[in-house]
Amino acid sequence: MIIRGYIALLIATSSAAYSLLAAEGLMPWEKECPENYEDLLRIEVQIQKHLSKTKSAVVSLETEDGAGSGVIVSAEGLVLTAAHVIGDRGKKITAILSNGKRVSAVSLGGSVFSDAGMLKIENEAVLPYVNLAKVKDSSLGNWCYALGHPGGFDSTRGQVLRLGRIIGKQDETMQTDCRLLGGDSGGPLFNLNGEVIAIHSRISQQAEENFHIPIETFVSNWDFFMSDEFYNAQKLQEGGFLGVASSLTPEGLTVLGIVEGSAAEKFGLLEGDILRTLDEEPLDSREKLAILVSNKSPKDPVVLELSRSGRLLTFRVPLGSRVNQE
Amino acid sequence: MNHLASFLFVLACAFLPSVLASTDDSLLETPLRLNGIRVQQAFGQTQNIAQNATVKLLRNEKVIAHGTVIDPRGFILSKASACIGARYLLTDSGIRLPVKARKRDEACDLVLLEVIGGGHEWPTLHWSDNNDSTDARWAISASPELDEIRLGLFGGKARPIGREGGVMGVVLSDDNQSERGIRVLEVIPQSAADRAGLKTNDRILKIDHRSVRSKQQVNHAMQKKDPGDLLLLHINRMDDAIELRVTLGHRSVTFDLFNRNLLMSGPTSKRKDNFPLVLQHDIPIHHNNMGGPVFNLEGKCVGINIARVDRVTNFALPHTVLYPILRDWLKP
Repeated sequence: MIIRGYIALLIATSSAAYSLLAAEGLMPWEKECPENYEDLLRIEVQIQKHLSKTKSAVVSLETEDGAGSGVIVSAEGLVLTAAHVIGDRGKKITAILSNGKRVSAVSLGGSVFSDAGMLKIENEAVLPYVNLAKVKDSSLGNWCYALGHPGGFDSTRGQVLRLGRIIGKQDETMQTDCRLLGGDSGGPLFNLNGEVIAIHSRISQQAEENFHIPIETFVSNWDFFMSDEFYNAQKLQEGGFLGVASSLTPEGLTVLGIVEGSAAEKFGLLEGDILRTLDEEPLDSREKLAILVSNKSPKDPVVLELSRSGRLLTFRVPLGSRVNQE
Repeated sequence: MNHLASFLFVLACAFLPSVLASTDDSLLETPLRLNGIRVQQAFGQTQNIAQNATVKLLRNEKVIAHGTVIDPRGFILSKASACIGARYLLTDSGIRLPVKARKRDEACDLVLLEVIGGGHEWPTLHWSDNNDSTDARWAISASPELDEIRLGLFGGKARPIGREGGVMGVVLSDDNQSERGIRVLEVIPQSAADRAGLKTNDRILKIDHRSVRSKQQVNHAMQKKDPGDLLLLHINRMDDAIELRVTLGHRSVTFDLFNRNLLMSGPTSKRKDNFPLVLQHDIPIHHNNMGGPVFNLEGKCVGINIARVDRVTNFALPHTVLYPILRDWLKP
């Protein structure tokens, strides 16, 4: 990060110096594109460097309904996976560790909005785990690799490794050209430092445009998911209704549209407003807003902080309900 | 493989953003993606080596397989079951030449083709004889049209692949008490059993003249059979004695229709079982591109593609498996 900051500073002064420094200071996998044998070899070596440690934290998951994957992110056995793998909170799930040992686990929370899900392995002393990448650390073009158990656990085959780049990242979705198959769902996507950047979610009809849940989504709603809150479609429809369409931009959670006749319209929210907090909870994802609002009842007042043209405004808004909307 | 259904979401559900799909400028441009032109260019000479060492094999003007130029005298190695009836090859520069099959190895599903008539200058293939350390290494093959390369990684353990055996395509009753044969609960549509005329509730009395009294005995009789083998069934259908001849099918083909993963994968190789040792990689190539070479970053041939298994899996036969066969076939 120091290197990057340094480069950014230089851009302002001399673009020639920038390109010189970029070539020397960037790792081969940080370049816009690998250029030669040397770059490709160093990418290969870098993957091998972290492969066995990252593999040791990947689990295969067996539920009543099928097989998925997951990744252990704490020594106590917290596992990140996809919501559609766990299905609901409090479900018994069998996790198969990378050494083949079968252990019992129980699902915590999750959300069908992003497809993020969590579970906890029970009664295991010390488990291998991997670290999460820093929030906002991964971006378009980054090299990454996928691990998982496509088709379910297979001890003679082991985990399957796939390479790719981040080809899209917006709100609750990351897209890569890593190839995925059923059974990979819930498995981890790693950056080349062996940190988790996303969790496999959905498979596109195009084999090389698959979908993952970025780690930012988990971090944003960590406390909800850890406290066994599971947001299914119905739960997200119930509760209050604000009536804004938003998207995460570099400035923050930006209002893209207002639903006619909604609470948001009545109180004069405008397109382009940057939503900061709701009841003092920072709004760092669309999903967080959806969860906070759905936890309220219609007519419940909420305090909404937003910035408009650089000015900080505070609104006290009684929520509407989705039913009245239709 | 796991018998459990595997999770996948095929299409976006109601909650998901359409942002990514709708605005192309927020996506990484194609030349910079894993299999984009810019990334391919970094492979330099290895790109030419891969394209020059690969040929397309034609039957009735259709590409049915790829082949590997293994000898400058004009010998091509390919996947035997994929290139039955191949009469011509096309090189990466579009030259068309007649070929003739000279040798076959059923065990490894290999065929040696000879190019008829001289005059063409073939490259020399350099093998990598280090198969022990392929894990997480670049894997490079020619693209389907031989005009580009396709990239992936070796991943998944090098391992033997067992026989999957021939199948009838039936679900049988577990009830072992019946003196009147094993009841057929279900006949898989378009399976070998379906084509032979077997029906639900038929009772299988004998297989190849031997009485069967349990599902296990049926399975036991099937274990020794391969796809294409003929099976004689004596059955009881509503107290009529009937004889049926079943030509067994491939397990994967028979059950593919019901496997969501394979529905997502597109066509796969018919034979993808019974190999002494395979390397696994995720290069995006098609079932009719089997038989071509796989290279490492150094431009050395690691093996030949022998089966497309699913969307994330191809098998390649490594040099250690090919070497004794080729030594025998190509001895002066």
